[in-house]
Amino acid sequence: MTNNAIGYVFKTAGYKVISNVEGNNMETGILSTLMKNCSLTGKIKADYLVFEVDESYIPVVFKDLKLDTLLILNFFRDQLDRNGEVETLILRINEFLKTYTGNLVLNSDDPNVSRLAKANPKNENIYYYSVEKYEFATKKIREAGEGKFCPFCNTKLEYEYYQYSHIGKFKCPNCGYGENKIYKLATNVDLKNRSFEIDNFTYTTNFNSIYNIYNFTAVIACVSLYNIDRNIIKRALSTFKLNNGRLEELEIKGNKTIINLAKNPTGANVSLRILNEDDDEKELLFVLNDNLADGHDVSWIWDINFDELKNVTRIITSGTRAYDIAIRIKTAGFDSNRILPYLNLNEAVDELYSTNSKKYVIANYTALQPTRKEIMSE
Amino acid sequence: MKELKILYLYPDILELYGDFGNIQVLKYRLEKRNIKCIIDQYTIGDNEPHFCDYDLVFAGGGADQEQSILAKDLVNYKNNIKKAIDNGVFFLLICGAYQLFGKYYKDVNGNIIPGLEVFDYYTEAINDRKKRCIGNIVIDVTLNDTTTKVIGFENHGGQTFNISTPFGNVLYGNGNKFGDTHEGFFLNNVIGTYLHGPLLSKNPELADYIIKHCLDRKYNENIILESLDDKFENLCRDQLLNQFLTPHN
Repeated sequence: MTNNAIGYVFKTAGYKVISNVEGNNMETGILSTLMKNCSLTGKIKADYLVFEVDESYIPVVFKDLKLDTLLILNFFRDQLDRNGEVETLILRINEFLKTYTGNLVLNSDDPNVSRLAKANPKNENIYYYSVEKYEFATKKIREAGEGKFCPFCNTKLEYEYYQYSHIGKFKCPNCGYGENKIYKLATNVDLKNRSFEIDNFTYTTNFNSIYNIYNFTAVIACVSLYNIDRNIIKRALSTFKLNNGRLEELEIKGNKTIINLAKNPTGANVSLRILNEDDDEKELLFVLNDNLADGHDVSWIWDINFDELKNVTRIITSGTRAYDIAIRIKTAGFDSNRILPYLNLNEAVDELYSTNSKKYVIANYTALQPTRKEIMSE
Repeated sequence: MKELKILYLYPDILELYGDFGNIQVLKYRLEKRNIKCIIDQYTIGDNEPHFCDYDLVFAGGGADQEQSILAKDLVNYKNNIKKAIDNGVFFLLICGAYQLFGKYYKDVNGNIIPGLEVFDYYTEAINDRKKRCIGNIVIDVTLNDTTTKVIGFENHGGQTFNISTPFGNVLYGNGNKFGDTHEGFFLNNVIGTYLHGPLLSKNPELADYIIKHCLDRKYNENIILESLDDKFENLCRDQLLNQFLTPHN
């Protein structure tokens, strides 16, 4: 979504933008996006190229396209059986950055991201962004996270607070790693009104999670490097929406329905935070598949925090692993009589809309579009 | 009210694959039976735990780099851990923890991380970082003379050798090594296994075996565990066993 939002800001400012907005972030996806936008002679006419890039293609994309800014948001465990450990991936990016001298925009609050500033000490174009402590920040980590040890001296990192997962204010008690000069800092985060401030200027969005506040702060950091007027940024962010099942809001049979993708624990925990910060009574549908593109391993559902679900009356589960997720939720203490597993998605969605209440829907990668389609046909 | 004391080792580090799920399942199954479940945690920087005071010690798996950091911490307690095992404290060790209780772990770069040497098995990573035993796995396990199928997921580069008493026979998946017939290690009150993450969630029989073993020892009686509603677990097992063990065209 961050990729789409950056492109949207440039477009709002009147520029022509080429971007892989569908999220096809491998080399072929980027190539086909370029092909679609070039003339018969192979010339590309655009003011800005904005790409979401799979980490393994960063070196090739930067070399071939001569891009001048790299934004790194965060590292979360995701499909470990397919992608391997997070550390391996970070080291790969670190290797590329050793010779990179372009703009590097980094999340200061993720210890695994901000460490990348040191890959090339000669690069002076480092821009950190951060978000001030928000009201649901915690003293202890609530959700599975990655940054535990200082990447430079292996000492256990100390956190003043956690915003979500391992994102928060950290410091190494031994070598002091963690103190950064912040380029863009979001303050006065107000999730109810979906607003925050940067440089004493208020922005409003259509999203209400801390995860998205971080993403929008990253967006503002990036586009500010291209001198986009902040009134234009403000206008763009207030109208930016996604309609592909990523925090999408629909009205189905008179029931407000919020659909979100969750392909890893952090995604699911972000959705559950939004659910728990909503005081209304609601029902939850969780659709979990274990197809190749999802990763066959569903162990990650045990890293989802299902404790103390607020005002949830029933939970319906579906997908190829409907029973696994039902066991998970039951073990967290939710009354098993109010958990209804259906392997068949159509039956699950029918069950969901057999009552009138607000609905939250969480689906993983291959489950998302079938679920969305099933819901839209209700 | 009866109680069971669990020591959870390095919960903040050995938690790569939702290993916390095992603790949650044990707690759930104890509390449903009105047995108090006490969970103490130990991690780097805490005071040395009194291993012998516990009924069950649990440790999971972590990322390679983090595992080598904590290995140095864990060896400090080598003697006390051995004593606890001799005293009959139950140890459930998953993935990385399973490896650490052996002689050593040789990583991809050839570095040797010394283990606790409690048991004489040892683990060597395959040179090719990309080659790992990854996938769903089903093994036949004998618990109190009854054979049961244990379902899980394995994801390990390390190949474990010199196992005299395996945890189970592989029906589907790899096991201790690529294409092995054996999985894990099982000797009296110690289970070490590559079935990572929430192993106990899909295997209530195994969970109850461990609970009963611990309670019988603690209270010196033959405790009959009240049966629980395992509807979801049974549906899940039927679905997965059918999927993995039935030949499909």
